[in-house]
Parts: sequence; C-alpha cells; structure tokens
Amino acid sequence: MSEKKPLLEIQDIYTQFFTESGVVEALDGVSFDVTAGEPVGIVGESGCGKTVTGHSILRILPKNGKTIKGKIIYKGINLLNLTHNQMRSIRGKEIAMIFQDPMTSLNPIFRVDDQMTEVISLHRKVNKKEALDIAIEMLESVGLSDAEKRIHDYPHQFSGGMRQRILIARALALQPSLLIADEPTTALDVTIQAQVLEIIKEMQKKLGLAMMLITHNLGVVAEITKRVHIFYGGRVVESGPTEDVFINPQHPYTRALFDSIPSIEKDKTRLETIPGNVPRLINPPKGCRFHPRCKYATEICSRERPEDVWLGPKRRVACHHYEELDLDVDEETMRERVKIKEEV
Amino acid sequence: MASSVFEEYETIDLFASWDSKKQPVIQLNNLKKWFPVSQQSLLFSKVISNIKAVDGVQLFINKGETLGLVGESGCGKSTTARVTVKLEEPTEGSVYFKGVDIFQPMTKEEELVIKRQLQMVFQDPYSSLNPRKMVLDIIKEPFDIHFPDMLYEEKESRVLEILAKVGLEDYHALRYPHEFSGGQRQRIGIARALAIHPEVVLLDEPVSALDVSVQAQILNLLHDLQKELNLTFMFIAHDLSVIKHVSDRVAVMYLGKIMELSPTGDLFRKTAHPYTVSLLSAIPRPDPRIKMDRILLEGDVPSPIDPPPGCPFNPRCWKAQEICSQKSPTLDEIRPNHYCACFFPEI
Repeated sequence: MSEKKPLLEIQDIYTQFFTESGVVEALDGVSFDVTAGEPVGIVGESGCGKTVTGHSILRILPKNGKTIKGKIIYKGINLLNLTHNQMRSIRGKEIAMIFQDPMTSLNPIFRVDDQMTEVISLHRKVNKKEALDIAIEMLESVGLSDAEKRIHDYPHQFSGGMRQRILIARALALQPSLLIADEPTTALDVTIQAQVLEIIKEMQKKLGLAMMLITHNLGVVAEITKRVHIFYGGRVVESGPTEDVFINPQHPYTRALFDSIPSIEKDKTRLETIPGNVPRLINPPKGCRFHPRCKYATEICSRERPEDVWLGPKRRVACHHYEELDLDVDEETMRERVKIKEEV
Repeated sequence: MASSVFEEYETIDLFASWDSKKQPVIQLNNLKKWFPVSQQSLLFSKVISNIKAVDGVQLFINKGETLGLVGESGCGKSTTARVTVKLEEPTEGSVYFKGVDIFQPMTKEEELVIKRQLQMVFQDPYSSLNPRKMVLDIIKEPFDIHFPDMLYEEKESRVLEILAKVGLEDYHALRYPHEFSGGQRQRIGIARALAIHPEVVLLDEPVSALDVSVQAQILNLLHDLQKELNLTFMFIAHDLSVIKHVSDRVAVMYLGKIMELSPTGDLFRKTAHPYTVSLLSAIPRPDPRIKMDRILLEGDVPSPIDPPPGCPFNPRCWKAQEICSQKSPTLDEIRPNHYCACFFPEI
C-alpha cells in the first residue's frame, strides 16, 4: 500500500483570508496525501481548517481567501496552476464534494431530476434521456425507494436523510476518483445518520472511491476511515492509521480530545477537559499552536514550531515532547498499549 | 435550602404541603401539547389538523437527580420542557411542581414564585443572550423581575458571586455577549438561570452547539454546580453518550411519547424497548476495534401531524405485530423503576 503513488498529495499549503480585522491564517503548512481507493478522515474542532482544506483543494474559497503557498498535486497535476476552465473540468468529474447541510445544498425551486441531469449532461457526453436514466440508477443505488417517480419531486418533499442521499447520488453520478465529504451526517439524527453512513461505506467499497471525510465526530471517523489526520489551529498535529491513532494517540491534543468525550462504553467518571478555547487564527499562538492549552508545554513550545516526527511510514506527530508524555499514564493503559503495539 | 436565601423577599409559602422525601419535585400527568394547523379560506381560517408535539407524557423527577430526556429531532423534547416551565400552556394534562398544579388559576405573585424556581438554559448560546445588554444586566434581570425591592448593590454582588461560580471573572460583567466564545456564553446562560436559586433547571441541549473540548468543561461545571447548589436537572440532549454521562435516570422519547424510562445503568445494560435498542446501536463508537451489529431502521420518523395508529414506533419496528398498530401500549413498570411502553419488550 505504501508503495502506491498517492492520488492526491497536499504539500505544505498555506491558505489565508484577508479580513478587515487582519489576516486569518486558516491553513498553516498542511501536508498529507490520499491514496486511490482509500477513505481518509480529517478530524478537528470548529475553526481548525478542516473545511478550508476541502475548499482549497477544489479552489472554491471565498473571494478574500487564497492559497498563497504550497502544492496540491492531483494525479500528477498541481491544481493551483490550472486555469479556471481547466479547474471546472476537475470539479465534480474528478473530485466531487458533498456539503454539511442537505437543506441548503439543493436549489429549492428546481426539481431533483433537473438538478441531477444538469450535472450529468455537463460532464458526460450523454443525451437527456440517458442522463435521466443514470440519475435514476444512482438514486436507486443510494436506497431511494420509488426513484423513478420521486426524481420529479422538489427538494422540500424529501426529508434530511433523503436529501443527503440525493446529494451523494449526484456527486457519485460523475464517477469521480475522489469524494470530499464535509460533515455529511452532522445535520442528521442518529438513526438516519446510521443509514447514511451505511450507504457511504457501501458506495466507497463498491466504486473503489478515495474519500476525504471531514468531521468532528470521532465515532464516524472510527467507523469509516482507514487513516486519519488530526487538525488543530490550521495544522496537522497527528496522522496515521485510524486504529493506531485512536488506540495509541501521541499528540497531547489528540489525547485530550479523546479523554474529553463522554463514552457509552466507559462508566461515569469525571471528564478530562482542555482549558481555554479553540484559538482564533488571526494572530494565532506562536510556536506550537496548542501550547497555551497544553499541560506539557515548556518554553520551547511557545518559541519554535514543532517539526513532524515520523514514527512509521504513515505515522507522524508534530510535538516537541511526544516522547515524554507516557510518564503519567496509568499502568493499565500502558499494558493495553504494549499489547496493541505487539499486535500491530 | 435554596428558598431561604430570599426569605426576606418572598412571603408566600405555596409549597407547605410538599414532602421532598415522598413526592417528586416535578410530575407530568398525561401531558399533551398540540399545535393547531389551520387552513386559510377566503374569510375564515379553519383548524384542519394538529401537530401532536407532546402526546401524553407521563414523567416524574425526584429532588436532586438528573433526568435525561433523549430523542431525535421533532420528538417533542423541547416542547415538554417549555410546558414544564410554563412557557406554553398544555392542551391537556397537568404539571405538578412540588405538589402544586402550576396551571391552576393563581395570582401573579404565586406565579412568580413558581417561575423563579423553574429555570431554563437554552441550546443556542448565540441567540439566547440579548446582544445589546451587558452581562451584568443580563444576569441582573431575573432579580429585577423577582425581587424589585432588592438594593442595587445586593443585586450586583449576587451577580458577581454567580459569575465566579460559573468560572468567569468580575470584569466580564461589563462586557457584551459578542465578546465571548460559545463556551463562555453558555456559562453566562447558566449563570442567568442559577442566579435566583431555582429548584429545578431545565437544560435544553446545553452542550450540543459546543466543541467537544469545551463541551467537557461545561458538563463538569454543571455537575459541580448541581452538587453545590443542590439542584434538580432535566437534561435534554440527542447525544446518548452525553445523556449517559450526566443522568441518574433517562427517559427516551419518540413522536411525543415516552418509550422507556429507567435508571441510566439499566437503560444501557438491560435495554427493553426496541426503539432504544436501535438508537443505541446507531451511535458510531469512537473505537475502531468495536464492530457493531447494527440495527438499521427503515425510513424516517413519521410526521407528528398524522402519527401512526397504535404504537408510534410500529412502522419502523422489527418486532411489530398486529396488535402494535391497533392498540397504544402503556408505560408499564417491567422491573422496579424501569418503565417501558411496548407489547414485546426485551427482557
């Protein structure tokens, strides 16, 4: 797996927004890659740059935002060098995106069939009839019952879960190689979320799709992805195979994040908290961006940006002190970790 | 005792007959809240149907406990809470607070006494604070309403006291809501609710708009305040892991009805209602090693305008039989303190 050339390679990108109150350093040297057919998770809290990453790749940033440095290499081409027209042929056909809010991502005044066939006939050489057939077939494959009739309905006639299915169907109708799913289930109820996750998993396997799943829900990431990148303050602080990162987190932020979520499995204990708030990215903290909230922070953390330390071919962490963190771990966790390391 | 704090201002004793050891603080009896849907014709508007947001809720909350109320969007959690604090009139049924029916005819003074002891914290920390008021004025307002005779200095010192309790500083009192982060705003909302020493606090999704790291801070804060001030909580959330963390007992709602009500441990270990079973299995676990045998429900939650006959869950239930669509199951005690509204509970 590690020998395969990545489908998408993001190299050290910096995306900034120029606002009245200053420059927002939304992405600050982000690098990661996505291999063909691989589901990858992008995890972080609000304002950490998850969504901006997706928008930077597709170059759909708002007018005051710009990727000022770095390379986004997709199938060997740097997307940042393409013209607008060339970029239009990438969007949708090569890289598709589904957005968080299924209520606003469909145009309320057009019927679903119009909205789906428009996309299909723009990118694929088919006539109207064929486009409609493709649309119906896609809707059926995402589990919309009675698709032949319902395709002629308006978006408001569908529930949230159904609309998200329509968006997934529309995104996949063009057979993209990469799907960027931005919080696809956040607006949905748990039982509906379970249905939609099942469909995403199924489609990903069936089509051999590479996927970037952007979410703050650690449960969703654990379920769908094979590899995960943890974002904090516009940087990747840790990445690696999902199982390894979840069981054996190395960065103090990742650990604190896992400790701060209440769990169904564990019994009631006091939650660990991270003091303070998610940093604003106008004048972010110097050095490591997590240092003001980190209990292991020392003088160097506020001065120097930590380099990525590679712990394995696909495993890295950006922390000055990651090696020293194990000191205060209790024995049971330690034993579990050793066991897992042996298994891996 | 919380009410003694304001003894000099409060002269009415409504709750003399209430015995905190024997009676629950809050008792909802067959509570219904229907919102009429009307159709406008040329001259008249006519009620054509009702949205049955809350449709016969039977519930009690004991003193000092946290009752978790969980359910999907549109199941009537928030409406139940709003009726319980007398923000809405019920269509049918009654709400007893410390043995007093809060919807019986009463004087304005009596109503104020009741409302002071029933406070609410809202979901959205951005829209629930008036952007044109300073924090001091936001938290002082409950005092202005309930204790107009109190001296300004005393009000101010009580505001600062509660601010300190929720983890904010004195100087924050002179700032406006937009200067705070989401977590801090939720602290202000909590301070406003707790300032006048309520007996019961209804928390309507207090952490669902917050980031996980901030969510943990607020959950811990609520836990500490409950201990310190001897509060009773009704905690509404859609996130079952949050509910499990905070609650002593949990009520599961579906389409305006209580499906299951039990101590937290039993609900998660000895789940009885099929809906609760499916809800629990639907949660994605943050551990890649756990492979769930998931029960996928078919379809969506039906509309509360025209709920299915019989058990509201029967069209999506895998155990449903003929009786489920004919008769509505009652909330029965299947083991001590564990109530379930199902003809075929898992035992």
